[in-house]
Amino acid sequence: MSDPTLDKLPGGFKGMSEDIGSDQTTFKGVNWGKAMMWIFLLSDTFVFSCFLVAYMKVRASVTEPWPYPSEVFGLEVFGVPVPLLLIAIMTFVLITSSGTMALAVKYGYEKNRKMCGLFVLLTAIGGLTFVGMQAFEWSKLIFHDGVRPWGNPFGAEQFGAFFFMITGFHGTHVSIGVIFLFIFARKVYRGDFDTGRRGYFTTMKSDYVAIEILGLYWHFVDLVWVFIFAFFYLW
Amino acid sequence: MSDDLNIKKTSSIKTKSSSVSGGGTDIDYVRPAELPEQDLYHGHSFITKWIFCQDAKVIGIQYTLTAVFTGVVGLILSWMMRMQLGFPELFPFLTAESYYQMVTMHGMIMVVYLLTALFLGGFGNYLIPLMVGARDMVFPYVNMISFWMFFVAVVVLMASFFVPGGPTGSGWTLYPPQAILEGTPGSGYGILLMLISLSLFVIGFTMGGLNYVITILQARTRGMTLMRMPLTIWGIFTATVLALLAFPALLVSSIMMTLDKVLGTSFFMPTIIKAGEMLSYDGGSPILFQHLFWFFGHPEVYIVALPAFGIVSDLLSVHARKNIFGYRMMVWAIVGIGALSFFVWAHHMYVSGMNPWFGFFFASTTLIIAVPTALKVYNWILTLWRGNIRLTTVMLFCLGFIVTFVNGGITGIFLGNVIVDVPLSDTYFVIAHFHMVMGIAPLMVIFGAIYHWFPLITGRFLDETLGKWHFWVTFLGAYSIYFPMHYLGFIGVPRRYFEMYDSPYMTSAVGMNEFISVAAFIVGAAQFIFFYNLVKSIRLGKPAGKNPWKANSLEWLTPQVPPEHGNWGEKLPVVHRWAYDFNVPGAKKDYITQTTPPSEVIEAEVEKT
Amino acid sequence: MWTGLVFLAVIIGSIAFHVWTPWWWTDIASNWGAMDDTIILTFWIGGGVFILVCLFMVYCIFKFNYKEGRKVEYKPEDKKLEVRLTWATALGVAALLAPGLLVWNQYIKVPENSIHVEVMAWQWGWKYRLPGEDGVLGTSSNKKINDDNPFGINEDDPNGKDDILIDSEELHIANNRPVKILLRSIDVLHNFYVPQFRAKMDAVPGMITYYWFEPNKIGEYEVLCAEYCGVGHYAMRGLVVVDNQEDYNKWLAKHETFSSFIAKRKKEGLINEKVVKINNILNTKKSIKSEKNVR
Repeated sequence: MSDPTLDKLPGGFKGMSEDIGSDQTTFKGVNWGKAMMWIFLLSDTFVFSCFLVAYMKVRASVTEPWPYPSEVFGLEVFGVPVPLLLIAIMTFVLITSSGTMALAVKYGYEKNRKMCGLFVLLTAIGGLTFVGMQAFEWSKLIFHDGVRPWGNPFGAEQFGAFFFMITGFHGTHVSIGVIFLFIFARKVYRGDFDTGRRGYFTTMKSDYVAIEILGLYWHFVDLVWVFIFAFFYLW
Repeated sequence: MSDDLNIKKTSSIKTKSSSVSGGGTDIDYVRPAELPEQDLYHGHSFITKWIFCQDAKVIGIQYTLTAVFTGVVGLILSWMMRMQLGFPELFPFLTAESYYQMVTMHGMIMVVYLLTALFLGGFGNYLIPLMVGARDMVFPYVNMISFWMFFVAVVVLMASFFVPGGPTGSGWTLYPPQAILEGTPGSGYGILLMLISLSLFVIGFTMGGLNYVITILQARTRGMTLMRMPLTIWGIFTATVLALLAFPALLVSSIMMTLDKVLGTSFFMPTIIKAGEMLSYDGGSPILFQHLFWFFGHPEVYIVALPAFGIVSDLLSVHARKNIFGYRMMVWAIVGIGALSFFVWAHHMYVSGMNPWFGFFFASTTLIIAVPTALKVYNWILTLWRGNIRLTTVMLFCLGFIVTFVNGGITGIFLGNVIVDVPLSDTYFVIAHFHMVMGIAPLMVIFGAIYHWFPLITGRFLDETLGKWHFWVTFLGAYSIYFPMHYLGFIGVPRRYFEMYDSPYMTSAVGMNEFISVAAFIVGAAQFIFFYNLVKSIRLGKPAGKNPWKANSLEWLTPQVPPEHGNWGEKLPVVHRWAYDFNVPGAKKDYITQTTPPSEVIEAEVEKT
Repeated sequence: MWTGLVFLAVIIGSIAFHVWTPWWWTDIASNWGAMDDTIILTFWIGGGVFILVCLFMVYCIFKFNYKEGRKVEYKPEDKKLEVRLTWATALGVAALLAPGLLVWNQYIKVPENSIHVEVMAWQWGWKYRLPGEDGVLGTSSNKKINDDNPFGINEDDPNGKDDILIDSEELHIANNRPVKILLRSIDVLHNFYVPQFRAKMDAVPGMITYYWFEPNKIGEYEVLCAEYCGVGHYAMRGLVVVDNQEDYNKWLAKHETFSSFIAKRKKEGLINEKVVKINNILNTKKSIKSEKNVR
């Protein structure tokens, strides 16, 4: 508070509106790519919201009984049925990968090339594991339980349709994230972010902020999973 | 000193920040640059300069040309529809199937592929970097991909004309169940290609839209505060935000309907009996689709309207040589309309069978939205008041816009009021209303904007005489198409009727339909005057020179006309005022450009409110 | 000069067209005169705004046409004026909305004594079902529809037994008795619309929608489908005949009830195979489910 000019700045709501309305940038000090990712995630939130709202609407209005999730998604371990076992592990893996991502961002800003690369790679592997387990879950539902998008043995046929569509859409997000994580792990190890090497397609200079942007996306995908988990498996 | 007062009115931010952050007594002080120079990729070959180009201006022109091409297709479709409606049985090749296919493709092309793409992709790309003083969009590469996605979407859409069964004939609203069932033309490949094309459009648009938003928010030049941006930018900005939040609903409904069609899921499909057989669908909700569609569809109306509002404000101000009246009110009205537009979607569904209690809520929100819209209209006409109106072609189109927009806005009040909508919905009244308000009115702005900015894009004027002919034929013709059409709706003629005359009380409409058709042929033909004018003027038009309209906003102040890649030469412009300082008392000229520092116009008594 | 004149002509022409138009709504034949009244009200308020705004514009064109060196007003804002205009507009909007909502409230509240009429829409035509002497329609489901049960009436519901089935495009209703139209569709969206009654509502497959009106003029009225329903949409017409009570009763007596329909089918020996066939279709659809349930 030693800066005398700061005291003269208007505070509260007025100060905020003046900051937002000022020239050049609305969000001071926010990188273009980061701002763009935020807005994209806002848009993507609407996509997932539409999916989930549609799901809730149909689930509330179908006349056939809705399948009982803890049975459908149960696994038998040594003959003992454990509800939601696989999902619990999947969720755990995905949330852990968010943790490793956060560490990658931290090391990125410290310009710690090796540790950053390691954690990006770990995140990618976490994501890959998640996708793998999801593939296992899908194949179990399809080949073992006979769930199809157009019908299933448990009840309302929209169950399969919404399950495959929403988890599939989320899985696609995770897969795209995994691909980018691998690409970025390579870029980190190669030192692109230290040398500012230009991107192959975009011809723009690389910067460690890219790791944070990727991290935003990854955390978002994680957060969406929490909602899907709640609405599909716990409801 | 005088300028400080001016700024206090347009935005109190600048005054404060300059006095606070060390400007001292220098009245020309502007905060130093926050951002480093943008890194641009300059194309070297024909392909990187003109085809896979990363210059927003070229991308804007590419968007415009592609959109106009689809628009011509839509125009020809409308001609054929009018042939059938005005003179049924005269053209044996017009069957009910082909008629419904034309209705559908005409609607979808005009709303999405022409108007949305032209306003946001075309004008947005060209004008945003220039008007906010940026060198280019923030991510030129993504911007380029955005255009090519749009291009592919158009190709897929056009391909549906050539697949077995033809394009979809389900009406532009694509309501299930009929959209994907036998009995609707193009329910096989046609609807699939339509859904794929829409999904591609949404993906492509998202890339572009993110660019527009971030460029406006994060890449303005020094001194360009939010409340100094031209209203064009405000309109495009708000529309883009709407699009980014509304298109997801379209994407989701497209995906779900594609799955219903291809995999046989039942998202939107209840139990259905066709030709005595029960289909395998069960338990889905057709109304759900309508909610999703209109959650997209209503903001879509404003995605088209808001850029038009913004652009017309700027054109009126420049050509009436007067500041836009009530700038701050205009900004808040744009933002307010944009926000409200997410809460009115179900006014398209008053008679859809949704819970009737929704009617109360949506009728109220819909009529509330009329208030800021009406204020904008008042401000436009008050801008003309005590101005110095140049009746250029541009101004004529603006005046035409006001008449058609007010007319269409008023009929919107009819349809938004739930009980009035009951007899009128699904009749020709609706057709007349939305063509007037989101067909003709935005088109008037588009034409005005092209006549206005053509000198910037090519360095030459469009021919004024041809322009005036174009205006009068288009305006009077279009008005005489749609104004009487409302009365068809009063009679009770339902929309989407291939043929309608054998009802006893509708026979009186025969003459009107013939008249409307003839008017439609003439208006359509008049557009070719415009295309001729464009082609001719690129080479032979009167050279325009710099800032031919004596406007204030930044796009006219580039070192080169037309502006080169990077827009601003060595140094970015510095902005000292809003874009509407016309005829300031005491100033030597009747306009003060945005880059003019206060010290150069000391004697001007810039108004304080 | 003539620019302003042409715009003026457009406005005057619009008013003249409105006043002398030969195209106007059909003579109303139901109780919904209030809808026409709200439209007229909207015309006065909305039309007034349209005329005022356009005349102001035309005046500006005449008065402030370009003249070198004209003194132009420099007045970016006028708070007072803007606030006044806002309130005036809000008031006008409220004046339109309030009566509209009141009438809508009537529209969605069906009188107790109304006769229920089920309209079943299909591609491309109409069928009707009326309650029998009990005055109550039996429950129904599209899943139960087959040749022996064209309306999918629930056989276990005693209310359905005496329902009167009308397999024709023509519906009769009694004059001056409120009618509640219950809409069903067996395939796609339709809309049962008679311009003279003003009211309309979509028929949506999978659900039952409704509206009501009270016919007050004896006559024949054409039914139009008002929601696009495929290639036959424009040809999907029907007929509503408003009768006096006597004619209505006569017409009603001519039609058979659900139970007499079934009895007839049984006698003709038509019933068995079809039932089997339909059951088969249902069973294939459900086969996966039952298999699993057994396990």
